[in-house]
Amino acid sequence: MILSVPTFLAAEEGLAQTFGISWAAFLAQVAAFLIVLYVLKKYAFGPIIDVLEERRRRIAEGQANAEKIKAQLAESEVKYREMLDKANAQAQTMINEARSSSDALAQRRSQEAVTEAERIIARAREATTLEHDRVLSEVKRELGRLVIDTTSRVTGKVLTADDQARLSEETTRELV
Amino acid sequence: MLNLLAQESIPLNAETLTLPVFGHALSNSLVVAVIVAALVLWFARRATKNMELVPNRGSQNVFEMIIESLYDMLEGIVGRHMVAKAFPLLATLFVYILAANWFGLLPGVGTWGWGPSRGLLLSLHEVHEPFFRPALEDPLLRPASADLNLTLGMALVFSVFWLIWSFQELGVGGFFSHIFGSKGDIKGFLKYPLVLLFIFVGLIEVLSIAFRPVSLSLRLFGNVYAGENLMHTMSGLGATMGLPAPIAALMSFLIPVPFYFLELLVGVVQALVFTLLCAVYIKLTTSHEEGHGSEHAAHDDHPATIAAVPVAH
Repeated sequence: MILSVPTFLAAEEGLAQTFGISWAAFLAQVAAFLIVLYVLKKYAFGPIIDVLEERRRRIAEGQANAEKIKAQLAESEVKYREMLDKANAQAQTMINEARSSSDALAQRRSQEAVTEAERIIARAREATTLEHDRVLSEVKRELGRLVIDTTSRVTGKVLTADDQARLSEETTRELV
Repeated sequence: MLNLLAQESIPLNAETLTLPVFGHALSNSLVVAVIVAALVLWFARRATKNMELVPNRGSQNVFEMIIESLYDMLEGIVGRHMVAKAFPLLATLFVYILAANWFGLLPGVGTWGWGPSRGLLLSLHEVHEPFFRPALEDPLLRPASADLNLTLGMALVFSVFWLIWSFQELGVGGFFSHIFGSKGDIKGFLKYPLVLLFIFVGLIEVLSIAFRPVSLSLRLFGNVYAGENLMHTMSGLGATMGLPAPIAALMSFLIPVPFYFLELLVGVVQALVFTLLCAVYIKLTTSHEEGHGSEHAAHDDHPATIAAVPVAH
């Protein structure tokens, strides 16, 4: 059934009355909504979205920085490890070198000490021999003098120089 | 039960408050709409005044949470390209409808006003013989979204913006081509008989678009009006059943309690449904198929998830 235009309009008017639709109320509600929309758009959503964007940007920056720092830390760790290994190797080499050089030095010093000791012993022996000879010659000389002196007293005569020389020579020969 | 059925329901139309200053435009729902608008603006002002990057105020936190959640959700539907344009309108729709719906649940809304015997500010249930009888004729406050003027107004405002954005995105020719043009890549002789079919489909599409404001507004109005009626019926259940006055008085505030939780949920769901449907309508015309303005499609990093959007309540 096709409604005629007046019937349709009448029905529409009845519907509008039923639901209380009127131009004045409709426009007033729309105006209230548009005012809220305008004010929120201008003074609320804009600043909030700006703050959210700024926060997102900073968080992204922070995350990027954290990643960068993490990578740098890992790189530093690797470098540190490398340096530590290198230093350990160098230290080990130095220790080995020091150990070998100290061994050589100790050996050389020991050799020198042995040589010095032998030299001291030889010198001591030489000195002892010389002293022995000197004492022996002195003893001989003193003994010869005693023999001469004793002989002259026993015989009661003054011994000549030849006699004294002969007695001294004989005494020395008897002592050896 | 007959008494229950015979109980008076809330009228479909918002009652006009007969104040001489505003004439017939000042309905009780408009009073609530103005109060809700003022509250929304006050809260938004409070939340956005002296904003800090690291917020330490509750109002900024709450408002940011709502706006950020809405923004992410709407961006997922309408795409990054359109969200910058459409977000203020869609977010305002959501916030305003939600505030209006929840404000309607406050005690006094729909129950304070003018009565026949005692004048200003009577309770809905005046004590008369036998005990409780509806005495309120002109409630001072009515839920704003229980007035078709508001819901239809919001739907029409959205439709105007939708039409403008659709023309901006597609052009006038592109818009009509989008509606009446052939869908898919049909070639050869087959496309000629299908032209008539696509024109017919386009006409159905036009009809569907024309009825969008009606469906949007009636859905919201119907749900909120039904909720208001439900609360009204539940609060007067004891009196309607003819129970003694003390029991009826106790029932008048105990029985509606579970329904308050239901209506809180309905308030959010309806605000969400209205907003999401608007977003989907925007998506349907401003998203471009392959070879159809692909320069804009490149901006849409987040494809819409229309299938996941609730369509009706």
